[in-house]
Amino acid sequence: MTAIGTSVARADGPLKVTGQVQYTVDTQLPGMLHAKVLRSPYPHARVLAVDATAAAARPGVVVLTAADLTNLDHAFGVALRDQPIVAIDRVRFVGDPVAAVAADTPEAAEAALEFIDVEYEPLETVMDPEAAAADDAPVLHPVERPRAPMFVGWPAERFRGSLNVCSGYHVEQGDLDAGFASADHVFEDTYRVPPIHHGNLEPHAAVASWDHRGHLNVISSTQSPSIVRLQLAEIFGLTENQVRVVVPYVGGAYGSKVYAKIEPLVAAIARKAGRPVRLVLTREEVFATAARHACTVHIRTGVRNDGTIVAREVRAFYDTGAYADTGPRASKKGGYLAGGPYRIEHQSLTSYCVYTNKAPAVAYRGFGVPQVVWAYESQMDDIAARLAIDPLELRRRNLIRDGDTFVTGDVLRNPGLDEALEAVAEAGDWGSPVPEARPGFAIGRGVACAIKSTSTPSNSAASVRLNADGSVHLLTSSVEIGQGSTTALAQVIAETLSIPVSRVTVSLPDTDVTPFDQSTISSRTTFSVGRAATDAAAKIRQQLMSLAASQLEAAVTDLDVDEGSVFVRGSRDRSLTFAEIIRRHFGSPAGSLFGDSVFQTRGGLDPLTGKGKASATWFYSAAAAEVEVDLETGKARVLRIATSADVGKAINPAQCHLQNEGSMLTALGSALFEEVVYDAGQPTNSSFLDYGMPSLEDHPLEFHSILVEHPSEDGPFGARGVGESVISPVAPAIGNAVAAALGGARVRELPISPERVLAAVDQQPEARA
Amino acid sequence: MTINGRRVSIDADPSESLAYVLRERLRLTGTKISCDVQVCGACTVLVDGLPVSSCTYLAYEARGREVLTVEGLAHTDGALDPLQRAFIEDNAFQCGYCTGGMLLAAHAYLADEQDGDSGENVFEALAGNICRCTGYVPIVAAVLRVRDG
Ligand code: FES
Ligand code: FES
Repeated sequence: MTAIGTSVARADGPLKVTGQVQYTVDTQLPGMLHAKVLRSPYPHARVLAVDATAAAARPGVVVLTAADLTNLDHAFGVALRDQPIVAIDRVRFVGDPVAAVAADTPEAAEAALEFIDVEYEPLETVMDPEAAAADDAPVLHPVERPRAPMFVGWPAERFRGSLNVCSGYHVEQGDLDAGFASADHVFEDTYRVPPIHHGNLEPHAAVASWDHRGHLNVISSTQSPSIVRLQLAEIFGLTENQVRVVVPYVGGAYGSKVYAKIEPLVAAIARKAGRPVRLVLTREEVFATAARHACTVHIRTGVRNDGTIVAREVRAFYDTGAYADTGPRASKKGGYLAGGPYRIEHQSLTSYCVYTNKAPAVAYRGFGVPQVVWAYESQMDDIAARLAIDPLELRRRNLIRDGDTFVTGDVLRNPGLDEALEAVAEAGDWGSPVPEARPGFAIGRGVACAIKSTSTPSNSAASVRLNADGSVHLLTSSVEIGQGSTTALAQVIAETLSIPVSRVTVSLPDTDVTPFDQSTISSRTTFSVGRAATDAAAKIRQQLMSLAASQLEAAVTDLDVDEGSVFVRGSRDRSLTFAEIIRRHFGSPAGSLFGDSVFQTRGGLDPLTGKGKASATWFYSAAAAEVEVDLETGKARVLRIATSADVGKAINPAQCHLQNEGSMLTALGSALFEEVVYDAGQPTNSSFLDYGMPSLEDHPLEFHSILVEHPSEDGPFGARGVGESVISPVAPAIGNAVAAALGGARVRELPISPERVLAAVDQQPEARA
Repeated sequence: MTINGRRVSIDADPSESLAYVLRERLRLTGTKISCDVQVCGACTVLVDGLPVSSCTYLAYEARGREVLTVEGLAHTDGALDPLQRAFIEDNAFQCGYCTGGMLLAAHAYLADEQDGDSGENVFEALAGNICRCTGYVPIVAAVLRVRDG
């Protein structure tokens, strides 16, 4: 069979080109009400009083305020339980929910919001993560919040500063002082990344209803049905089987829909209304619900004259906004990956997760990693320039290699990093003369590379069902967010059972039916769910073989499977189709065989040393960019870009390329213009009118996506994962190209806006300009 | 108005957008809302053959006109339009949320091209449709393949 490595057409294609596909936003239930949320106009304030009497008196209107949060555990959060369903006594960012209203139409609900009176007492705000970490900063959560059971926490006290530091991570190796003492050059810089918007075109949406058993039904656009079920059960004091989470197709997520977001609020107001309630966020509310972590990275690196990096110290301040959400985990990941994919003898890496009065920062494609890659890969080119070593060559000299021990203690096996780097260099004509620029413009090239890990430990279950006609169904709680999971998972099953891919269908999540899956995050679906599905299918294959053995009167060891039949090796005429095996087994052409499997990755990092096993698999990627800079306006334009990712094994190459292209273009936006802007605590561009995302006109004229295949040990057919790999190296490759074009003038804060380019040129008079 | 070749008459509030009427009153949910401010193109439908952003276009304005939505692209016998087929074959989508609008913008572009009116290139024609998933490469490939037969 050749199901693996083949770009079979997407299973959801016919639904998506005809408009038949159903997303959560399309859900309508009989008797359903529509919710709207009253949100804080202040970045930080005490809530003195909420008077909803007038609103509640309007016909058909149901209001939810803090007073209704009885009989439940109102705070949620997957690391720290610090986020109330609606504000209890304090609001912490502009957009923080204060109350909610449900009514027959969204307009009626919106109108009722006007009738809720809230009395606020404004408090001092803090918007910068490093300032917020200082011990004299205004504190957002004066009471330390309980840890969620799933979170392996770090003692935050070690990293304070103020109570705003809600988590921290530290790891070290070697002797930092000795390392710097042995260096010929020391580079010390600060890099900054602003908050950015995910841009999921489908806003967050959820529909909740309660039945007369007291069971909660939720239809949601979440990436985490299994965990959202768990979180809702915790909040409402239910058992997991009393909560049902169904996830239709999801219209883009990129991390914005990981773990509970709006589901607790919708469930709470539906409980009060006694009717189904739907909430679909407006774009402005999506901005208030999720962002990528802003980050300030201080990086100090000691290098010998020959280019060997001997010491690196990083301190990264992750801005998690008003609530922790996944911040403690994203900052941990960024922390241990802050040294980069290099052999560095002496390292000290520290990250801080800090509250500020911004909208909550949540998972975002790359999960804390692009922020530090921006820092270390930009600095790498400053090092190369100072030592007069080619940037590609400098990386070659320091790259991690097969069998190296990472700073966490993980041993890296078969990394495809050098191949990824060489591939983009070749595609980008690295080393050949840069084309002549038009008058008034300059052209430069840059490369960058990155390493990322996957969420570990984690687990995924898969249940495979062989029907009497030989067709197959996979039950899984992994979410089709567009990445193509329903196609790739069908492929690994088809391969395992030697049947055509078209014989396999893959479920969407319904926690009443589909088994546990950690979440559709961290580039883990093909690796973890794919492995579970492969193992489950192998169990069915095994059952078919043993049934066929008795039916064919042959030894199992003499049997093989091909094209939906079991046959005796060497005599193809002694063969039975799957359907025939089942018919003989049950005595009728009806019934089904089951195969279940759980794939569990083990590991985790010790809270005190920061060491252990960080990841079950690793992702390696690289990018090379050629950028033209308008010397008068400062505007940078990407002319060409090549990206590569070590995917282990491409199950569906076309879908892998799509992941790379999408990552590339999103990262290009973050490099050149994307930024969520705040002015005195107020967000000023929470609309697509003001927040630009890359359109077709921003696309580089030339683009290469290269797949490197260094098989992983545990992934199905050697697959590693691909969803996030390319997001990290793109911005620094572009930044390095800009700096090269400007003779070394460097922008250290994203985005690389025209103003920053001109300022960098001004500060560096010797730059060619 | 005529929607996907079928005459419909509805009573709607004059302030209702065409997207709202299509989605909530007629249950034609293939038309998507994302930005609601005429920027992203997810809500694109054709009115008398011209692409409009139905999130801000009033249903009232469509009185007596012909509206084409993604649900009306497939042929009456159920066969997919060549553009739809090309989108599948070239993998021109991932999550699919932009796809309806993208198909209609492309459809209008191809119709113009067929009429010999190539005032725009494909990049300009689709510049008003945001796709956050794919990076556009396969979308352009699919449209050009249909254009060039
Ligand atoms: S929803 Fe109409 S253009 Fe974005
Ligand atoms: S396919 Fe997801 S936005 Fe285009």
